[in-house]
Amino acid sequence: MTEERTKKAHLLMGSTAPHTRSPKSTRIIMLDVIIALIPLLIWACYVFGLRALSVSAVSVLSCVLFELLFDLITKKPLTIGDLSAVITGLLLAYALPHTVPLWMPVAGAFISIVIVKMLFGGLGKNLVNPALAGKACMMFCFSSAMTVPSVLVKLGAFEKYIPVEGAWGTTPLSSILTPPSEGTMALSFESVLDQFLGYETGTIGEVSALLILVGFIYLLVRKVITWHIPLSFMATVALITFALPDNGFERFDFMYMLTHLFSGGLMLGAVFMATDYVTCPITAKGRVVFGIGCGLLTVLIRYFGERDGVALAILAMNLLVYFIDKITVPRPLGTSRKPLFARLIKKAEQEHP
Amino acid sequence: MAFTFKGGIRLDEHKNTARSPIVPITAPSVVRIPLSQHISTACVPCVKVGDLVCKGQVIGQTQEGEGCLIHASVSGKILEISSITDAQGRQTESILIENDFEDRLSDAPAPCDKDLRTLTPEQIVEHIRLAGIFDAGTTPLPAFEKLSHAIGKADKLIVNCTECEPYVTANHRLLLEHPEQVVGGIKILLRALSLRKAYIAIEDNKRDAVKAIAKLDFDPEMIRICIMKSKYPQGDEGQIIYALTGKELPFGKPPADIGCVLFGAETCAAIYNAFAHGEPLIRRIVTVDGDGVDSPGNLLVPIGTPVSDLIRFCDGELSSINTIISGGPMRGQALCDTDSPITKDTCAILAFSKKQKRTPEKEGSCIRCGKCVESCPMQLVPRELYRRFKKNDLTGCEKYGVLSCTQCGVCSYVCPARLELTSKIGSAQTLLRSAPKKDTASPESSESERKEQS
Repeated sequence: MTEERTKKAHLLMGSTAPHTRSPKSTRIIMLDVIIALIPLLIWACYVFGLRALSVSAVSVLSCVLFELLFDLITKKPLTIGDLSAVITGLLLAYALPHTVPLWMPVAGAFISIVIVKMLFGGLGKNLVNPALAGKACMMFCFSSAMTVPSVLVKLGAFEKYIPVEGAWGTTPLSSILTPPSEGTMALSFESVLDQFLGYETGTIGEVSALLILVGFIYLLVRKVITWHIPLSFMATVALITFALPDNGFERFDFMYMLTHLFSGGLMLGAVFMATDYVTCPITAKGRVVFGIGCGLLTVLIRYFGERDGVALAILAMNLLVYFIDKITVPRPLGTSRKPLFARLIKKAEQEHP
Repeated sequence: MAFTFKGGIRLDEHKNTARSPIVPITAPSVVRIPLSQHISTACVPCVKVGDLVCKGQVIGQTQEGEGCLIHASVSGKILEISSITDAQGRQTESILIENDFEDRLSDAPAPCDKDLRTLTPEQIVEHIRLAGIFDAGTTPLPAFEKLSHAIGKADKLIVNCTECEPYVTANHRLLLEHPEQVVGGIKILLRALSLRKAYIAIEDNKRDAVKAIAKLDFDPEMIRICIMKSKYPQGDEGQIIYALTGKELPFGKPPADIGCVLFGAETCAAIYNAFAHGEPLIRRIVTVDGDGVDSPGNLLVPIGTPVSDLIRFCDGELSSINTIISGGPMRGQALCDTDSPITKDTCAILAFSKKQKRTPEKEGSCIRCGKCVESCPMQLVPRELYRRFKKNDLTGCEKYGVLSCTQCGVCSYVCPARLELTSKIGSAQTLLRSAPKKDTASPESSESERKEQS
């Protein structure tokens, strides 16, 4: 009898509902993001040469290594298997020019992984996007090395552009932010097309708007991200630059608007950095608010700071996520919630009857 | 455009048994009939050990007259009346009947031979009560209670023919093979509710069942078939009502409060059988599937049959089975005993072998992906509820609407970090419901209480 009973106890395993789980684990989601990021690296190698690859490799390896070391030193379970450190490393490298000395990504990785991510409790606990925070610190510490090389030479027959070593001039974005002289700039359709396709200069990951869009569509199809942040972010920037251009450009100038969208880190930031799960709101409504805020700050920094403000805009909005989440809690089905205003009046009445 | 609701997910359907006709199982040698088959007052036995009972004889009833009557599902001798642990882990009394294979029928619940039009609603309710019919749904209740609450209040009868859980095809087969029973039951319900029109809610993955119903000869003004999108949890009360009427089921209220009443397809068929053949609810259709059985199928099973009989009937090897789930994989209960009986609300038995890894992996850390928020059919923030429950902040849980959760399991299913969101939210609900009101009531509700007192 007891034998039978022990057999039975061994036979059936307990399990709590639901007894089936979606195949999409954290690691598979992260792998999808990496897949979406790879084409950008290949394009960067084509435009900038293998130097782009070595910067990225150093950045990824040091990010993974720092996370591993941190786990080992603090005697925590190893977390590098979730692949999030690889994404941080890739995004950090993508935000750097390919000309940085190779020790710089290591310093950036230390700030990103150890200070911004692991010291706050690891994956899911950090307040701001680690890659962007690393880039922002590097922007202030090594500002000259962080400037992108800008003049490109066109090789007539191959329609290929090669960056000229040591020439530091203007990118399409900086040329519209600080035009050489008033009114002389005319943006041609060809130059905008070049920016869209990726025949321009910039940091490693931001050159090809087309490939970023391809990555965006891949992530949407794989249901890794939702459309809310990228579209509200880009739409806000497009709307403001279309209606209220800066520096004497004419209103409703399509080419001016498209230069704002395709040049600089806007697309990369909107698709890959602002959508970082950990540092964006969790509700759809909150994500739209977040995207609009990012867009607004980006344009403000571009207009008044005369630099590409995508990284700083996203970092600033990251800090507001906690409050955005609080005010955008959805109303559960079948319950009624009084509008905020009515609640405030009621509260005031209670306190001062 | 198919009707649907906000949120929810598409699941792998695994409807392997959709083409398997309903087969009656070989009669079991013993049946064990639990006296409490749903969350309601338990019945007390009205037979003694050693008594001979007929098939369809009442063996358990409640003193107050509420709850479902319990009938013997086979004829034979009462062997014992003892306590067992049911799927929810509660102790319930059960009656063990040894089958004498004589199939002596009890004549107590006679078929209703009167014209339906001459029956009063009260007579219909009483007949349904005597048949012990139970409506398994989001709020499981005896069918007669549901009906008598809705009489005069409801102006919309919705017949829930959806089956959104993977694997389960019991309702689908019922609609394909016996649509006349379902429609017959609808006619009786319409008469009791004095309504003219019923709405059949059915998903778009069961087009053949829609055709089977449409082929029947009935007044097209009487029944409208509403095609729903195949999505989980489309079969939930609140979600069906929202999809069909656009009204939200108010929190904690029965559907009758917004003029709707829902019955399952199997309930309708059982009501029809009770009126046409005088058959109480003593057997039901059960889908048996999973990789633990070699020939999955739909079985017609007497209530109280041990699960092991079903698995053997479907060529399953008990020793190779690791997990048995009673119900669908999203909401079902894992059984702890292979001899657990089939009850009135068992729609499926899923047996999984050791090969298939079903035990959840270790919980990771939340990456705030928002997938639980996107897919929650009740528009809750499961992640926030989970976090607050872990911090023992039950007041916060209540503020975030934890009691609205229907335990559909979607949040745990989609969570990439494999957090046990559903079961933790369930624990928070249990704690809140059992805790004394004072400690947990939100400021608003305590305020309204104060007003009521003054």
